[in-house]
Amino acid sequence: MKTVCNFIVLTSAILCAAAHAENWAGWRGPNRNAVSPEKSIPTTWSENEGVCWRSRLPGTGISSPVIWGDRVFLTSSDGPKQDNLHIICLSRRDGRELWHQRLWGTSPTRYHATKSSMASPTPVTDGKHVFAFFGTGDLFCFDVDGHLIWHRSLASEYGRFENRFAATSSPLLCRDMVIVQCDHYGDSYAVAVDQNTGADRWRIERPDAWLSWSSPQIVPVGDTGKHELLLCGSLKIDGIDPQTGSKLWTVGGMQQECIPTPVFGHGLIYAVSGPGGKSLAIRAGGRGDVSDTHVVWENSRGVPFVPSAILVGDLYYLVDDNGIATCLDAHDGQRVWQKRLPGRYTVSPIGTHQHIYFFNEDGETIVIRANHTKFEQVSRNRINEAVFASPAISQGNLFIRTTKELLCIGPD
Amino acid sequence: MRMADVTMASPLMIAGLYPRLCAAVVLLAHVSVTSAIQADEIDELIAVIAKAGPQGSGSVAARQSSRRLTKQGIEILPRLLRAMDTPNIVAANWYRSAYESIVSREAAKAEPEFPVAFLQKYARDSKRQGRPRRMVLSLLDKLTPTYRDSILSTLLDDPEFCTDAVDLVLRQGYQALAQGDVEKAKTNFQAAFKYARDVGQLTGAVDRLKAIGVNVNIIERMGFVTRWYLLGPFDAPGRSGFDESFPPEKSVDISASFSGKDGAKIQWKLSQTEDRLGQVDLMQAIAPVKEAVGYAYAELNCPQDQNVQLRCGADDNLSVWLNGEKILARRQWLNGTRLDRFTAPALLKKGKNHLLVKICQGPQHKNPAVPNNWSLQLRFCDETGYAADFESALPKAAR
Repeated sequence: MKTVCNFIVLTSAILCAAAHAENWAGWRGPNRNAVSPEKSIPTTWSENEGVCWRSRLPGTGISSPVIWGDRVFLTSSDGPKQDNLHIICLSRRDGRELWHQRLWGTSPTRYHATKSSMASPTPVTDGKHVFAFFGTGDLFCFDVDGHLIWHRSLASEYGRFENRFAATSSPLLCRDMVIVQCDHYGDSYAVAVDQNTGADRWRIERPDAWLSWSSPQIVPVGDTGKHELLLCGSLKIDGIDPQTGSKLWTVGGMQQECIPTPVFGHGLIYAVSGPGGKSLAIRAGGRGDVSDTHVVWENSRGVPFVPSAILVGDLYYLVDDNGIATCLDAHDGQRVWQKRLPGRYTVSPIGTHQHIYFFNEDGETIVIRANHTKFEQVSRNRINEAVFASPAISQGNLFIRTTKELLCIGPD
Repeated sequence: MRMADVTMASPLMIAGLYPRLCAAVVLLAHVSVTSAIQADEIDELIAVIAKAGPQGSGSVAARQSSRRLTKQGIEILPRLLRAMDTPNIVAANWYRSAYESIVSREAAKAEPEFPVAFLQKYARDSKRQGRPRRMVLSLLDKLTPTYRDSILSTLLDDPEFCTDAVDLVLRQGYQALAQGDVEKAKTNFQAAFKYARDVGQLTGAVDRLKAIGVNVNIIERMGFVTRWYLLGPFDAPGRSGFDESFPPEKSVDISASFSGKDGAKIQWKLSQTEDRLGQVDLMQAIAPVKEAVGYAYAELNCPQDQNVQLRCGADDNLSVWLNGEKILARRQWLNGTRLDRFTAPALLKKGKNHLLVKICQGPQHKNPAVPNNWSLQLRFCDETGYAADFESALPKAAR
């Protein structure tokens, strides 16, 4: 009976999310797949054209902007140790700051000089609360008006974080829990926290896991109504029961250090880790080590280290850190096309059902037509600032975070 | 409002640094009387927040208390800041949430009434937690923009502002050099070397001093262990070495010999690294091998018990035992030895301490162009990075 109830709650949540498809509620937007259902998203802009507004941001951060209704939520960090944390809410309409919370982080770590900070994980919202996780090992819950609801200092409770590029894993909302994957040099773990109280619902040790930056993902299991939590890192991807934290299955074949977040479609999990690794298409629903039974296809072409992949229709797109874009057939993994794009890539591509946007580190965006079996560039747009944060799509606009500002691209 | 908060503002006004505080002090004195009834209640709200802690405990009560504190005026700032001086970061953030609202509201006034003297004293007080002191100094940057530079040179040994202060004296040293004043530059760079905790600042000071003919010992300054007995290679196929236990993990007998990789007889041999930052290249010091395990053993004499930090790195990975207790183990392979990559608390005892390190060497990277490094770097220091008080008890190695 409990399972049925949970299924109803989850189904309701999914339906609810669909009704608010114009929102970009967390890392990689709807279903964490980075594909917006919207249609009229701008494909051309420049430094001075097509920019609805721009808002200066404090500190540094590569976390994505998160949009719900008329609010945009962002995080950043600054200070000599990067332990001064910011959670900012802007007006979606004009970029005006609505509120700005400043808090301390527990355990700042090493970070990449340009490509990361303690504000690398993207916050997530359900429209009532905002959950922000930082590389300092702190998880905060605010209401959407900026009032602190609770704070968990995971680094105080479970050991300081040890990381060379700062933790990047973005929190995931699942039922009434917020789930965080903490894979680092020290004792790694994943924890599900009660959204209302901040207390642990479950916490699992990950003794075989070490430093990784991938974010958790949740996927349905066929037509069973059940869901599985995916944790990618340390040479494997694990399927977890999201209700209890129990491990259900494992597939090997990932790299030692994993960054991309898996995506889901056609009943398959698409996981990738590089460099030198491979893309795997995996059937959910296994038990034990299912490396030999549930991997539907694998392909080692164009595998990125940092950017996550994107699945639009029947095609699976990757861009590696050096700009090699690869399109694979989502059903069999066969190469459809491969093309060198300009620049280097940290940002994970985003898209609609019409277009895919590849953002390079120099602030250039290559827009291509989606779901075409040939590479077809639609536009090449440039802004004069570096971009390391994955952008968002919401309500007809693109939101691009540069190293200094948030730009809203598109109609007023 | 406690009277102490009011009187602390007075010397500043006399100094004329912040004339608008004249009005503020009158008001604060007034508030100290009119809000005296509320003082206990403010303290109660602060005490409630102090109980916030792990697992989100105390959040509901802390939220209510923080919201009530947020509605108070600037007069509660000193009490809020004293409360913020806590190692409980969860409570500190609840206080800060109220602090930011109060400060923001006050700053928006035409004539803000910040207790500047209290803030300055608070920022200088090195016994308090660093994070609220830095936050207060940032506020003072807006209220009294010259204050930071006026105190930084006195904070060279301050646990929070040391890096800022050293940065200042380094800049002064560069300026002196540019002006041809070598003696002044030398004084500045020596001060930077003496007080710096940041490795970039330390090596910068060392380089500048060397350029003007002054040699200093960065190894002692940072607390590197450079003198070791080394043993290896033991055979460890693939990545089995991390979990496999070899004889030194049971006991260390410097005179013993063992059967090593490919059946070769191996013995402990004394070694001293000459690397600038104490890195030990095991490919040279033991053997250029793959899929192996090596051990490094040191004895350290300490004049007293010290709670210190172990900071270390290794390629591929390492496990560390201090006086027979494993205090750190990091499994990850293909690490690259990076300064201070791993840290762990450690107790160095008075007298002789026994330090054993196991360093694993994995298979060749699948890209044959990736160098097959095998190395170790280890030091003991305080939490700020200043060398712990120890010296090697091993004999000097023959050069």
